[in-house]
Amino acid sequence: MPLDTSTYSLGLLRVDGRRWNELRRIHAQIRTQAAADGSSYLEMGHTKVMCVVTGPTEPGPRRGGNVGSAGGAGAASGGQHKDAEVLVNIVIAGFSSVDRKRRGKGDKRTLEMQSTVANALAASLHIHLFPHSQITISLHVLSQDGSLLAALINAATLACVDAGIPMTDYVAACTAGSTSTYAANDESADPLLDLNHQEEQELPGLTVATLGETDRVAVLVCESRVQVSRLEGMLAVGVDGCKQVREILDRVVREKGRKMIQEGTVERGTGLNDMDVD
Amino acid sequence: MPITILPPKSSRPIPSRRADPEDVPSDSDSDTSSQAGGADLDGDIPMITTANKSSPKYDSNTGIVTPGELITSDPQWMRGHGTYIPLGTKDITSSVAGTITRTNKLISVRPLRARYTPEVGDLVVGRIVEVQAKRWRVDVGSTQLASLPLSAINLPGGILRKRTETDELQIRTFFAEGDLLVAEVQQLFQDGGASLHTRSLKYGKLRNGVFVAVTGMGGGGGVVRSRRQVWTMDAANGAGQIDVVLGVNGYVWISKHVETPAEVENKTMGITNMEENVSATMYSSQNDPIDSDTMREIVRLRGVVTALVENSLRVDEDMVVRGYQEAVEMALLSSKGPEDVYLGGERGQQLAAALTGV
Repeated sequence: MPLDTSTYSLGLLRVDGRRWNELRRIHAQIRTQAAADGSSYLEMGHTKVMCVVTGPTEPGPRRGGNVGSAGGAGAASGGQHKDAEVLVNIVIAGFSSVDRKRRGKGDKRTLEMQSTVANALAASLHIHLFPHSQITISLHVLSQDGSLLAALINAATLACVDAGIPMTDYVAACTAGSTSTYAANDESADPLLDLNHQEEQELPGLTVATLGETDRVAVLVCESRVQVSRLEGMLAVGVDGCKQVREILDRVVREKGRKMIQEGTVERGTGLNDMDVD
Repeated sequence: MPITILPPKSSRPIPSRRADPEDVPSDSDSDTSSQAGGADLDGDIPMITTANKSSPKYDSNTGIVTPGELITSDPQWMRGHGTYIPLGTKDITSSVAGTITRTNKLISVRPLRARYTPEVGDLVVGRIVEVQAKRWRVDVGSTQLASLPLSAINLPGGILRKRTETDELQIRTFFAEGDLLVAEVQQLFQDGGASLHTRSLKYGKLRNGVFVAVTGMGGGGGVVRSRRQVWTMDAANGAGQIDVVLGVNGYVWISKHVETPAEVENKTMGITNMEENVSATMYSSQNDPIDSDTMREIVRLRGVVTALVENSLRVDEDMVVRGYQEAVEMALLSSKGPEDVYLGGERGQQLAAALTGV
């Protein structure tokens, strides 16, 4: 859609030319790795993430490592769980950001993201259907430009859909911010949707993920200082963005399914309308 | 000089909403009023160009549903696999991305792709991962390892042989870690696990061949349950006979055909005491000598199976046999002659085109 400069002041545009409620371009693919149970690739602007899901499988010998895990009644390691366990492993490539930062295995930020993604997905996936098993989600960050956690959650959701693991609904995530800093104490600050790296550095922001089309918030992470009065607006914009993200993810899955049916790999299903006949 | 932003050239024409007069009512709900929640900016124009939300997402052409999609709220239907009912409602909702199948009043969703789920009577190829006191744990590509109890195998020395503690102590002489076997699913457990048996001369340890894992059930190409999943075929180019075992779990075994002693005796003695002649060699891990012609044709068959999967065609007896004949002909036409067993990439597509074009 062309920008109509006559009705929209240029002063209101953000550094990358977006308006306050615009998402960046989201491009996603599923089934990118033929050998994996489920896989996906997701770009949110310049944040690029790859995801591979293995499982549900019988847990192998535990390789003691730093992985975020969720689910499983009684989290005793190596024990027999009533529910499937969701393990998340995030690898951030050294070349992913501008400054080449070495992140060790025990990086606290990575660990926190791992457990956030694991808990968010464990809540949506029907893990009770797979006792004594584990679902391993490997996420690889190829490029970072803000909204990393949101991109990770979206990629993991897509890969789980591809793996055919039953779930309540998509967990779609995005970020929201505010147009002025905490220090400015600006009461009239407006909310922003989908922060990029530059905005994330300067402005307060939060990551929100919702379950499907509902307003039910699955993840809410806010790591910056912000006046509580601004929070409501930010959250509302974020939740609205999540719905848009869900729509985009859903379209990706549908497109893949339609293609598979056209190619004849999957049999055509019974139409819903056929059901109402008898 | 004031900055002007030129409208970008869009690759597809911008749909003119006013073109269709019937579209006007739906237009009204996508104006600025739908952007409640954010600070409203003067002069802001709607940017959300998604299709009007009232249109049903369900695409009746394909019959695909995605997680969280409402299938029906009619109470006459029963909920099957791939669906759930959210708390406090009576709506049958999909929990996987897949196609709807209906059996009488039961609605289930078959996922586009998923791991193998065992069913009683399935023929599976598996690999031993663990040896326990009285049973083996077998990887069959399912969500859990299947178990093969010592009591569910044929012991050498006849069907009526008593199982003793010596057998338990010698459990590794029958199957050890890493051995491949073909078995049948005997029983399912509540938690989704399965127990296998090999109590037939058709089943048992595998040798003299090559293992291929293809994606299992649920689309993306793969093995489908069919009438015949084990067969012996005559190979071309001077090779002997070749056995093919298509496990329902997507594990495939292609091997040189060896006449078992039972088969040899069967020709002279008849079927009466065949079962008792389970020979001691059936748990051998030693390959028989295989000539290079047979090896080459085994590799060609393997290439056919992977080409079928890569081009997302189903893998069954008909397709494999026809694909093999096609591959033999393709090899004859190529410059290297029958030695050319490569069936990847373009050649695989060529093979798939020849199979589907008929």
